[in-house]
Parts: sequence; C-alpha cells; structure tokens
Amino acid sequence: MVSNQDAESGEHLRDGLEPDTYPVPEGPWQRMKHTEIWRSVFRHPQLDTPRGRALQGFSNVFLHIYPVKVPKRVLRLRYSWRLGYIATVLFTILVVTGIYLMFFYTPSVNAAYGDMLQLRTGVGFGQLVRNVHRWSAHLLVLVVVFHLVRVFFAGAYKSPRQFNWVIGMALLTITLGFSFTGYLLPWDQLSYWAVTVGTNLISYVPVLGGVLTDLLIGGTQIGQPTLLRFYTLHVAVLPLAVALMLMIHIWRVRKDGFAVRRSSAGAFEEEATALAIGVGDRVRLLGVVDRESVTAEERLADDTVFAWPHLIVRHVVVGLGTIAMVLALGVAFAAPLRGIANPNITPEPAKAPWYFVGLQELLSHFDPLVAGIFVPAGALLTLTFLPYFDRNPLTESKYRRVAISIFTIILVIGVALTVIGALFRGPGWKFILPWQHWYLEM
Amino acid sequence: MALTRRNLLRTGWKFGGGLLAIAAGWTSWEMLRPLTGSGVKGIIKLGSPSKFKVGTATFVNQGRLWLSNADGQYFALSQKCPHLGCRVPFCESSGRFECPCHGSVFDIAGEWISGPAPRGMDQLSLTIEDDVLVVDTSKLISGPDHGAADFLTDPKGPACVGNG
Repeated sequence: MVSNQDAESGEHLRDGLEPDTYPVPEGPWQRMKHTEIWRSVFRHPQLDTPRGRALQGFSNVFLHIYPVKVPKRVLRLRYSWRLGYIATVLFTILVVTGIYLMFFYTPSVNAAYGDMLQLRTGVGFGQLVRNVHRWSAHLLVLVVVFHLVRVFFAGAYKSPRQFNWVIGMALLTITLGFSFTGYLLPWDQLSYWAVTVGTNLISYVPVLGGVLTDLLIGGTQIGQPTLLRFYTLHVAVLPLAVALMLMIHIWRVRKDGFAVRRSSAGAFEEEATALAIGVGDRVRLLGVVDRESVTAEERLADDTVFAWPHLIVRHVVVGLGTIAMVLALGVAFAAPLRGIANPNITPEPAKAPWYFVGLQELLSHFDPLVAGIFVPAGALLTLTFLPYFDRNPLTESKYRRVAISIFTIILVIGVALTVIGALFRGPGWKFILPWQHWYLEM
Repeated sequence: MALTRRNLLRTGWKFGGGLLAIAAGWTSWEMLRPLTGSGVKGIIKLGSPSKFKVGTATFVNQGRLWLSNADGQYFALSQKCPHLGCRVPFCESSGRFECPCHGSVFDIAGEWISGPAPRGMDQLSLTIEDDVLVVDTSKLISGPDHGAADFLTDPKGPACVGNG
C-alpha cells in the first residue's frame, strides 16, 4: 500500500540516500564514486535495498526502460523465450556492424562491388563484420517471425494489447524492408537478381504496381538510382522508423502489463506490473494512478521481483548468448559474394531472398493477381487486424481451437512454400531435390 | 455547426494540416519519381532488315532488347520477362525464348507458350524508315495475351533451360 506519510514527507527519502550519509569505502575506485563528477552522472548509489534499487531504476535512463519490479513469471525462459528481446539485441548488433560497414562502402554501381572485395581482403576483420551483419539480418527475420507466432499462440494480442500487435506487425514489415534493401548493396549477381525478382513482385499491384516499382527502383531497370534509394532507405529511413516503432512497442509492453497470465479458469487477467506494489512496501506517490494500479494495490501477495538484478541479468546472459551465436556463425560461414552484377546474365535460377521465395513459389502456380496480391496482402491485413475481429476474450488454446487451427494451417502452408521454393527448385523453376543440387544462397 | 471562434480555429487547423500533407506528398513525389531520361530510352537505328535472317533473334545491348525475325516479320522484344523481370535469353537450339528463372517459354515473336508469365514478351515500337529498322525504346507495348499463337511453330530442337 502507498503510505501517505511517505508521500507527504518526501524529504526523508532524499535524506536517507544522500551519499554523504554512507561510510566512505576504501580504495580509489570507491573514492571516485563519491566525487561530485560521479554523483552528477549517477544520482543514486548502488544500494542493495528495495528503495535503493527502485531509485536507481527511476533515475537511470537505461534502467528506466525496465519497470522497477516485474512479475516472477516474467523470469521464466518459457514465458516468452525472450524472442522480443533477442530481436532487439540482433537489431543492435546490426546497427553496430552496419556503422562499421558504412565506413568502407560507397553506394555506387561502379564502386560497391569493389568495396565488398576490399572489405574481404583489405580491411582487418572486414569479412567477419560483414558475415555477422548478414547472419544477424537473416536471424532477425526468423526471430521476429517466431516472436509473432509465439504471441499468437499465447493469445497475447488480445485486449488491451491490440495496438501493440499492430505495431509488431509494422516492425515485421520494416524488418523485411531492412533485409530486402540491404540485399542489393553488395551489387553482385545474387543481390541484383534477387532484388529484380523481388521488386517485380510489386508490379503486380493493380493500378499502382508500375508506379510503385518505378518509385522504388528509381527508373525502369535496377541501376544507380536503385542502389542509392535502397542505401538511403537501409541506413536512414528504416532505422528511424524502427527506432520509433520499437520505442512504442517496448513502452506498451510495459504499460499493457507484459504478456498475458492465464488464470485457472482460462480467463484473461490484467496486471499493471510497472506499479505493482506488495503489501508492506513503502512507495511514494509519484503521479496519478490509473485503473490497473488499483487492481495492483488490492493484491494480497507480492509476486513481483526487482528487474535489477533478476531480469536484467537474464537479459545480459541471453544477449551475450545471441552475440556469441552470430559471432560463431560469422566465423564458420562466409556471407556469399558472387560475380559483379550483370544485367545481361541471369543466373539459373534467380531466386528472391528466402523470406519472399514462398511468394515466388506461389506465383509459379497461380495467377499473379491472386498469388502476388490477394494472398500476401490478404494475409498481412488479416494478421494485422486480427485482434479487432477475434472477439474471443479467452487466451488458453483449448478455448481457441478454430483460431489456432486456421493460423497453424496458414503457417504450415507458408513454411512449406518457402521450403519448396528455396530448396526444391532449380533452373527453369523445375522441381529438383536439394541433395542433387543446392540452389539456395543467403 | 455554429460559427464560433473555437470551431473556426479547429476547422482551420484541420484544413491547414490537410494542405501541409498534400504539399509534403507532392514534394516527395516530385523528388522521388524517376528522373526523365533514366534507363535506356531513345531511338536506336539497327540498319537494314536484310541483316536479320528469318528464324533468328539478335540481342541489341544498347536497348537491352531482342530483334527477332519471325517468318519475315520483325519484332523488337524487351529482354525482361513479363513474369518477374529476369532477362530472357534466346535458345538457338529450340528457336524459342526460355526464361531461366521460372521456366516461361515464348516463341520467336515473343508469344507466350508456357510457364508462369502472365502474357507474351513486351515489345518496343519498331518501324522501317528508308530500309532502316528504327526502335523507339521509350514506347513499350504490352506483350500479347495468352492464346496468341500466330508465329508458333514446333521447337527446332532441345530446350536450353532445364533440358525439358
């Protein structure tokens, strides 16, 4: 419960945490922490008390991303498989490695391929950084899709998280855009023809298809304007869009009370974790409370733990694991680089990037209007607005058999089309077994 | 709605916001639309028609097009497959255009024979002026629909793509 006494006498909290009131420890490092400079940067010392941890969280911009306390269930790996967090780590890796790559890359059709070769042979760790960037990009697409699938199966898109699901769908689309625009930049045969096939998919949009394709590639054929447009989108426009969307996405994860918790009746239960307060805790009244905080106040048992260290340490471990994995992939597998892009030689077969190859496979069976527009646009729009027409408030799978069945069927078809297109198609899009010849390059 | 100061201002904000959005959209379009003259556009003179023998297709790199002679009729065909934009090579052994990407096949006049392409190969404007073939690459004509088979003949020999 919030203590009015504490709220009224805000001074005693500050007084109790003045660094001068603590014994000055021995050693230069500890003494440095008592200097004015240090204290101006880190306003509160690392006190291992509930109040100390809370104040550290409130007063640190990075720790403030997390709520001070989180429900214990959030700590379990199976709770979310940390997929959203892993995606954020991968995005960060991509930003860091991308900045390194930008130092050595010129977005010109005359220079781009040479820069790739130079990066491989003339720049220390250049090839490794490129490999890590490439594999992180592919993994990000994969992890974001897994994240979507998990959220769906958990029913975590339902009220009040409908809009965050929509933001998540926007992030998925931007992720695909990121990967696709980056695909062209090496300016080799693989990138040139994959992007040729990918951009031509857009031309099937009724009425606006031609204009949209021309707008994207900056002409009638992929060339210098295309490379510059893709580069600008890749390094400026899309990162800004992701930063904005990610900010809203993470903020709403907190405000909507993390993912759902299932009650014994399978009903959907709300929690306001950011303001979750256990009985006996003394907390200042920091602002106007909302509806959910009243629910939190009525809770009898405290089932929350401090984000620092419990959740943050777990995140650090998962983050380090993710970095280790992409590093291992980067060391083991080189990012492909074929010959320089040549508009007069089409490789056999020319495949779109793997995440669009399912669409390409669909296009080989059905009318372009159906396979290129109705199916993908229908699937994207249905998924995006799913929370608004799925009126079933229950989240447990046994109460959502129809929704889960339909989603699973669509998912299986999507995966099957991607696998067939990626592994079982050879020259002339003829059926071929992957062990006869491997035509997939990533 | 009563004309009050508040309503007037509210409507003014909406109207102004709308104008700003239109201005932003227009500016973006003007800046981002493909520049005039980008790509391969212009007039290409290919010389006398007699240079191009019946049943052959010659690639013209300048215009990225195929000049084919189908039974005495000339066609300037875009090299781009109307399916997904791959370059379509001419297969000498079969005498047909065969797309290596997804297996679309066209006859020597660019008419669709098989595969996922939604129509025949797109054509460029071709005229004969003073016994000179002249191609206007700025004028793209959509390829013939499925079913057109005015120049369809049996393949001369084995196919090049997929050995089918």
